[in-house]
Amino acid sequence: MIETPAIDYGALSPIIALVAGICVVLLVGLIGPRGRRGLSSALTLATLAAAAGLLVWQLGEPDADLVAGALRSDGLSITIGLIVVAAAALVVPLQLRDPAAEEAGFGETHTLLLGSVLGMLLLAEAQNLISFFVALELLSIPLYVLCGSHRSRSRSLESGLKYLIVGSIGSATLLYGSAFIYGGSGGATDFTAIAQGIGADLADDPLVLIGIALVAVGLAFKVSIAPFHQWTPDVYEGAPTPITAFMAVATKAAAFAVFARFFITALGPSADQWQPALAALAAVTIVVGNVGALGQDSLKRLLGYSGVAQAGYMLTGLLLGTVKGIDALVFYLAAYMLINMAAFAVIAVRERETAYGDDITAVQGIGKDRPALAWSLTISMLALAGLPGTAGFIGKLFLIEAAVAGNYTWLGVFIVVGSMISLVYYLRVVAAIWMRPAPRLAPAMAGASTEAAGEPGLPRRTGEPGRTPSGAPSGGRCWLVLGAILAATAATVAFGIVPSPLIDFSAHAGEGLASMLGPG
Amino acid sequence: MIVFVGLGVIVGGAFTALNHVLGPKRPSRVKSEPYECGLPTEVTRTFRFGISFYMVAMLFILFDIEVVFLYPVGVLLNASDSVFVLVEIALFVFLLLVGFVYVWRRGALNWR
Repeated sequence: MIETPAIDYGALSPIIALVAGICVVLLVGLIGPRGRRGLSSALTLATLAAAAGLLVWQLGEPDADLVAGALRSDGLSITIGLIVVAAAALVVPLQLRDPAAEEAGFGETHTLLLGSVLGMLLLAEAQNLISFFVALELLSIPLYVLCGSHRSRSRSLESGLKYLIVGSIGSATLLYGSAFIYGGSGGATDFTAIAQGIGADLADDPLVLIGIALVAVGLAFKVSIAPFHQWTPDVYEGAPTPITAFMAVATKAAAFAVFARFFITALGPSADQWQPALAALAAVTIVVGNVGALGQDSLKRLLGYSGVAQAGYMLTGLLLGTVKGIDALVFYLAAYMLINMAAFAVIAVRERETAYGDDITAVQGIGKDRPALAWSLTISMLALAGLPGTAGFIGKLFLIEAAVAGNYTWLGVFIVVGSMISLVYYLRVVAAIWMRPAPRLAPAMAGASTEAAGEPGLPRRTGEPGRTPSGAPSGGRCWLVLGAILAATAATVAFGIVPSPLIDFSAHAGEGLASMLGPG
Repeated sequence: MIVFVGLGVIVGGAFTALNHVLGPKRPSRVKSEPYECGLPTEVTRTFRFGISFYMVAMLFILFDIEVVFLYPVGVLLNASDSVFVLVEIALFVFLLLVGFVYVWRRGALNWR
């Protein structure tokens, strides 16, 4: 006789909703011609809305261990889940006119997107080495495919392949590390059991140390922490822009969630031994990311390096191991999501309107003819740099405050210095928007890209075929996209001026891990 | 045990022998080549892989492994009359079916 296990359907409901949505979107993609963009996008948004609604409902419910302790639904997993779902929801309108999605089919693109979201939700909940790894793969594999989904563009394929190879190395490293930890903790896969098995002193067991190092490296690959960041600019540049936006924001959020849960739950007792190592990584990451971004002409590469630097800031919040640190991390992730989605969306729009791709030339002089886009990109750049009046400023403020409270004042200084360096390249974009004249070819609407391809002096990535494979009016102004951009920008400013709703939101995350954390 | 091994050897041997004696033999050039999973044994530099074969093979492996998973559940289900297990396995098969419908309608099973 089999005993029916107790299943907490309520806490699992966001995941169940996503699985159901994936099935529906996949099957709907089969009906009719390949470009079922309206129906497919609407169903994807409905799925995401359902998942978001269920997550919000779960925010009020008590924390719960799910599936025999493999997953945990708590403040951290739910807040990160909401950030991921919001990012995906902002990506869906961007996909509407995207040449990559047109080419790969909307059903497939959206199914893969939802699959990745599902992996991220599971990763944020993972509380066990096995569910950790499975969720990480579920997150990554759809992203590998999505990166290469613009099949007629060799850069997209290159990006997909690069991401696949580097991502697999990261996953393999992580898996290898988990094996060491499993052995070193006396056969424990559960995070809490690992904490008991390893104990507080790591120095007497080199195997465990190797395991922790390997797991940290695997995670560092995923969140692009230097010196494991080299893939980031290449992949970001080559992938279709909506996918880059999603990858930059959502992967980081989910991976940081499990990073925090693993290091704080499983390795909490030995915190003072791994903290210096992560602090060194954070410092290196801040420097490398900010310096790397200085010479970039491609906006996507620039945001890629900027993402590396931001990962360094976020790692600071994580390694403190305090409630304040985790709150600051989640606040920063939420702000980063809003800012980055707006910035990438503007890049995507300009990419389709001009022949300059994601080169900085594409945004030159848009202050005059596209004020909405210009202001959004300006605010995003200033927010990424951390100027007051934006959510980016509040996020950095909290991170520095937490770092000082957690006796890592020098890392706080690194954040400030890093932000100062970053102003150089962010302001360069702002200057291009407002102070440079629009390039001669600027309002190159659909069809103009072919004549622009022969123009000398254009950046090299413009001449590639397949920019507008379907007859879609790619130059037309899509109000949904503009709405998404303006909403994200407005939220960036609003949370910069009145941050308390976002503070309350991120406070749930710290509560989730509170029993494991110092008060700090 | 000995009986089992003996029976195996005898029955197996008998069928092989019968096949050898009774089976029609029409040798051809293709048939006499060593078996290499559907690929030509000798390839030239400009040889192109038949992708369709890999597609079918990959799908076969996917669905094959799911059947391996179904088998123990079938045994369990026989031993217990748990509605829970039945519903679980129905869900599992349904998810597989979604994948199968997708593969089928997208034309991955068409031989090109």
